[in-house]
Amino acid sequence: MALDYGDVVICTPVTVPYVRRSEQSASWWLGTALRRLLEVSGLAKQQVDGLCLSSFTLAPDGPAPFVQYVGLSPRFLEFLPTGGACGVMALRRAARAVQCGDAEVVACIAGDTNGPETFHDLVAQFSSFSRDCVWPYGAGGPNESFALLTNHAMRRTGATREDFGKLCVAQRQWAQLNPLALLRNELTLQAYLAAPPIALPLHLFDCVMPCAGADGFLVMSRARATSLGLPCVRIIAAIERHNAFPDDPIQWRGGWAVDADALWQQAAIGPDAIDVVQTYDDYPVISMLQFEDLGFCAKDAGADFIRRNDFGPGGNLPHNTGGGQLSGGQAGAAGGFLGLVEAVRQLTGGAEGRLVPGARHALVGGFGMINYDRGLCTVAAVLAA
Amino acid sequence: MTPMQQMIESAVRGQLALQRCVKCGTVQYPPRELCSTCLADQLEWRTTDTENGEVLASTMLHHSHEAAFQEALPICVGLVRLDPGPTVLCFLTESCDVGTRVRIAASNDAAGRAMLTATPIA
Repeated sequence: MALDYGDVVICTPVTVPYVRRSEQSASWWLGTALRRLLEVSGLAKQQVDGLCLSSFTLAPDGPAPFVQYVGLSPRFLEFLPTGGACGVMALRRAARAVQCGDAEVVACIAGDTNGPETFHDLVAQFSSFSRDCVWPYGAGGPNESFALLTNHAMRRTGATREDFGKLCVAQRQWAQLNPLALLRNELTLQAYLAAPPIALPLHLFDCVMPCAGADGFLVMSRARATSLGLPCVRIIAAIERHNAFPDDPIQWRGGWAVDADALWQQAAIGPDAIDVVQTYDDYPVISMLQFEDLGFCAKDAGADFIRRNDFGPGGNLPHNTGGGQLSGGQAGAAGGFLGLVEAVRQLTGGAEGRLVPGARHALVGGFGMINYDRGLCTVAAVLAA
Repeated sequence: MTPMQQMIESAVRGQLALQRCVKCGTVQYPPRELCSTCLADQLEWRTTDTENGEVLASTMLHHSHEAAFQEALPICVGLVRLDPGPTVLCFLTESCDVGTRVRIAASNDAAGRAMLTATPIA
C-alpha cells in the first residue's frame, strides 16, 4: 500500500467566476486565482514556494514563463496538462512535496480562457492522433467521442436517456443553489428529453458547455493551516492511472477499475461511507462509469444504480453538489479541479446554501484526455473532514 | 515522410495501409513511428484494398465544428474493430447497429487527408 499522506491538508478552495467568453489570457485567469488564494489564506506571495499549474491555453507560455509573469519564485514547479485528471494529480504531487519537505505551501491552479475560436482550435489540434484520425471524421469534437462511448455504455448497461437525464436534472437543482454555476435556470426531465440532438445518443443537455474560468487550492501541513486559521481537509487516499486496459477494443471501463481496491484500502473506508460524491461529468456517461468502476455499484449495474438513488439536494447520495461541469461549465483544465474544490467546500462548511449536513467524507473522480478513441487519464481521491 | 503521410499516399492509390511490427507482429492504428507493444521501430505496411471489421459503436452527428461538414449533416460515424486488431474511427455509409460486419476502404477527403469509410457487408 502506498504511504499515507500524513498531516498534509488541502484548504482555501477558490474559483475565479466562470464566464462563457473571455478576452483575457489564460495567465490572467491563473494569476487571478493565485491572487485569491493569497487573499483567502493571508499568505504573502513569497510564502508560496510550490506551484502546480494546469492549462490548455497558456501557449506560447508554459509554467516557467508564468512564474515570471506573476513574480513567484517557487522551489517546486509542476505542469500537468492532463485535463480532467489534473486536479487530483496536482493534489497528489503537491501533497508529496509538502510531506517530503520539497515545499511548504503549494498553490494548485487550473484555468483557461475561451475566446471566439479557442475551443475550435484546441479541439482541432488537440493531439496528433486526434488531428489525423478523429477530427477528419466530422469534426464533432468531444461530443462525437463521448457519443460513441455513450452508445456502447447504453447497450452494455441498459441505461436510457431518462437515466442520464436524471443525473443532469439533479445537478441543475444543485446549480440553482450555487451562484458560481453558469447554468442555473430550471431544467426539467421533459426539457432534457426534448433538447435538440447533437451527436446521437447525446442531446444538448448531455454536453458540457466550454467557458473561461479558473479554480485553485492550497496544500500545506495541518499545523500551517491551523496557524493561519484555515479550515482544511485530509487526503486519506488517492489513485491515478493512465492508458489502462489498452487492449479493450472500446472503453467500457476506466483506470479506476484497476486501482479502486487500493483506493478504498488506503482510505480504510468503503463507498458506503462517502457523504458527497463529485464525479467528473463533462458527459453523464462518465459519471456512470465512475459509479461502477469505483465500486459504488457492480460493473454493468450503473443504470440500476442511477434509478435506485437520489442525487439532488436532500437526496441520499449528494452528487456533483455545485452543479458539476454540466451545469457549471467547463473552463478547460479547471474542469479537472471543479469537483475537488467543491468537495473541500462541502467538508469545510464553505458550500453556502447547498451544504450537505454533517458531510465527513467526499470522493472526487477525474477523467481526462480523449486522445483518440478513449479517455486516457483516470484519478480519484477520498477526502476527510 | 511521416507514417500518417505514408498512409495518405496509399489512400491516394485506393489502398488501406496499416502498420505491422516486424518484431512482434502487432498491427496498429493510428500510425506512429514505434510499435506500441514492443517499441521496435521496424514497422512494415500491410496494404490491402479493404479490411473487414465489426461495428463497436456508432453515432449520428447533428453538429460539427467545421463548415464543410456542417453542410453534410447528419453524418454517421462509427468505431470499428478491424479483424487484424486495431479499432478505427470511420465514416459509416449508413446507420449500423452494433455488431454489424463492415468492409473498410481508404480514400482521401477534399483536404487530402486519409479517410476511412465502412460499408455493411450484405
